[in-house]
Amino acid sequence: MASVCFYFQIHQPIRLNKFTVFTKNAPYFDNERNRKYFERISRKCYLPTNKVLLNLIDQFGKKFKIAFSLTGVFIEQCKSFAPEVLESFIELSKTNCVEFLSETYYHSLAALFSVEEFKKQIKLHKDLVNDLFNQRPQVFRNTEAMYSNGIAKIIEDLGYKGIITEGHESILGWRSPNYLYTPKDCNKLVALLRNYKLSDDIGFRFSARWWEEYPLTADKYASWASACEGNCINIFIDYETFGEHQWEDTGIFEFLKVLPHEILKYNNLDFKTPSEIVKSYKPVGIIDVPHIISWADIQRDTSAWLENDMQRLAFERMAKLEKTVKKNSELLHIWRLLQTSDHFYYMCTKWWADGDVHKYFNPYNSPYDAFINFMNILQDIERRLK
Amino acid sequence: MQVLVLGWEFPPAKTGGLGTHCYELVKNLGKKGVNVLLFIPKRSKNVKHNIENVEVVEVGSSIMPYNTSNSKIFEEGYGWNFFEEVKAFNRKCVELALKRKFDLIHCHDWITAVAGMQLKNITGKPFVFTVHSTEYDRTANIYPLKHIIDIEKRGLEEADMVITVSNHMKKQLIERYGGDGRKIKVIYNGIDYTRFFGLTRKEHKNIVLFLGRLTNQKGPYFFLHTAAKVLEKRKDVLFVIAGEGDQLPELIRIAIGLNIMDNVVFTGYLTEEELLYAYAMADIYVMPSVAEPFGITALEAIASGTPVIVSKNSGVAEKIMHCFKVDYWDTHEIANKIICMLDYPVLGECMRRNSFRELKDFGWDRVAEQTIAVYRGL
Repeated sequence: MASVCFYFQIHQPIRLNKFTVFTKNAPYFDNERNRKYFERISRKCYLPTNKVLLNLIDQFGKKFKIAFSLTGVFIEQCKSFAPEVLESFIELSKTNCVEFLSETYYHSLAALFSVEEFKKQIKLHKDLVNDLFNQRPQVFRNTEAMYSNGIAKIIEDLGYKGIITEGHESILGWRSPNYLYTPKDCNKLVALLRNYKLSDDIGFRFSARWWEEYPLTADKYASWASACEGNCINIFIDYETFGEHQWEDTGIFEFLKVLPHEILKYNNLDFKTPSEIVKSYKPVGIIDVPHIISWADIQRDTSAWLENDMQRLAFERMAKLEKTVKKNSELLHIWRLLQTSDHFYYMCTKWWADGDVHKYFNPYNSPYDAFINFMNILQDIERRLK
Repeated sequence: MQVLVLGWEFPPAKTGGLGTHCYELVKNLGKKGVNVLLFIPKRSKNVKHNIENVEVVEVGSSIMPYNTSNSKIFEEGYGWNFFEEVKAFNRKCVELALKRKFDLIHCHDWITAVAGMQLKNITGKPFVFTVHSTEYDRTANIYPLKHIIDIEKRGLEEADMVITVSNHMKKQLIERYGGDGRKIKVIYNGIDYTRFFGLTRKEHKNIVLFLGRLTNQKGPYFFLHTAAKVLEKRKDVLFVIAGEGDQLPELIRIAIGLNIMDNVVFTGYLTEEELLYAYAMADIYVMPSVAEPFGITALEAIASGTPVIVSKNSGVAEKIMHCFKVDYWDTHEIANKIICMLDYPVLGECMRRNSFRELKDFGWDRVAEQTIAVYRGL
């Protein structure tokens, strides 16, 4: 018996306003642009996908379950730009078939510079989830699945039962991601590992004509899941896959609509949420991750955010403000919004010349423009803190 | 294959990118086994050219295409004598060419197009026309000469194939000249980057460089106004304007008016060697051209390890990713970028390393290959 575990990541950064060295007394965030993007994605992805999922839960009762992780900055934008999207998530939460995960409120890289700040942002997010959906999250996922022994230990100490990261060969070796593992130096916490092959089959390859499995049908996908050995098949993908990364005309919604039916045809498969997986199965081994990994790009490390010197300088300058900014309640939230990983992602030069992975709703013409804009805002904040 | 190339400038006598283009093109065509017969105007000095498979014929005439300050033969604009010389050169080219054997004719810009068209009419050989810039570009659309535009238009009509240096140019040739898009092929210019200093260590003397002819086309005014804005924020920056041209006195007046002469240097004409140093010493190269069909100087700056800010509508902006692309009139934004590059040296460092890597896509052998493909398709 293996359990299929669906978890969808939902995040939209609050993008920065155009800010030059000459700019004075202007807002730091580009509300107009953020609203435009948010409304578009709501129309193409959030609303229709929520509707499909709600119908599926109605149809299958307790047999179909999913998990979400909604960032605090996503929820803030929901409240300002599309309250109906938030309503539909609340409706989903009332079905008891939807679990909400814990993460940092700001989708930040806080774990990389301050334990105190990291914990604070987790608490802010946990309280928000509790308020909105009346759930106390049991399973944690860090920004972009960033994970290490040290991060796992912090999460265990906060009382979580599970943590999510990437099921990559670099930490598993010959072992399968379809089992629970114990993070090194932890006793109570278990790690759920993303099955990146099956996840990317939907997230990246669904409409790829070069792929020998194209077109991907629900019955074919279910047969692959059924053939998997192990306890849990963790399909962790960005929610924007539905309707935005994979447009409606690729047939992604039809795929989603029939997938639970196809999966439940197999006697050896069921659906479980992450915390149910943690309760149902025992870890089979230890994973030892001394250096930080993530689920991003081919390297599966932090290089998408902190590889080049611009990214490092921007990050260091931001981190340096921690002490002083905490005495200023007005700027504290703004400073935290600057920690959102996307701002550093936009400065990435790694793939830029040929790839467009980093271009998705990117407000900048180049990584250099992203750097300049970020630094000008940071400088303005530094000035105000003096 | 025997190609008759009608050139305009050729090293060492050159005033712009076209001379470099002609030289590198025929050299690389020659290397690939194409026999080239090159006609160029005869300059005052006798120069021996020794290029494999290339025969250089100097045709008696002494054309200087732009009115540079040390050439006294012109009054305003191109001047009357200049047009007479162009006519004479074209006549002479036809006369000499008819005594020779060739399979096709390849002309560069309007200045040799008349001879190209005549030769096509007489011999029936195919005519390839490369447009490096148009009259609208060269004059920044201020009093373009109808007489030249007409030659360009006819050239585009009569050519069997047209080559141009950017998509932006192709669009212009279609929209402004009614050119037939099906016979216009874009071949980006190349660069022999080994001639330049490469990624040497920067001394960070806060030098911002403009290099080009001082004409409306190249946008030196915008450079000066940008300088004034930068200097509002930082006083430790030196703005170097390298090159000569008819706008020099006016530019000096403007710089005085803006009260920035303490931070501006006009170098005048630079020798090839001085040019290499100018590129390498600069912390930032700015090319705020109003019109720039390609923009070879941006590649030369990159080859000298200098990060560049280029006009959005330049041809080079279509191909180079690791640079800033700006509206030439947006001096506010250009100043913003310059200040940030000076404030955060890591920015320029990242940019110059990444852009230097992009130069490998700009080999002249690639230009020659694509040109041969055009010849073969005739």
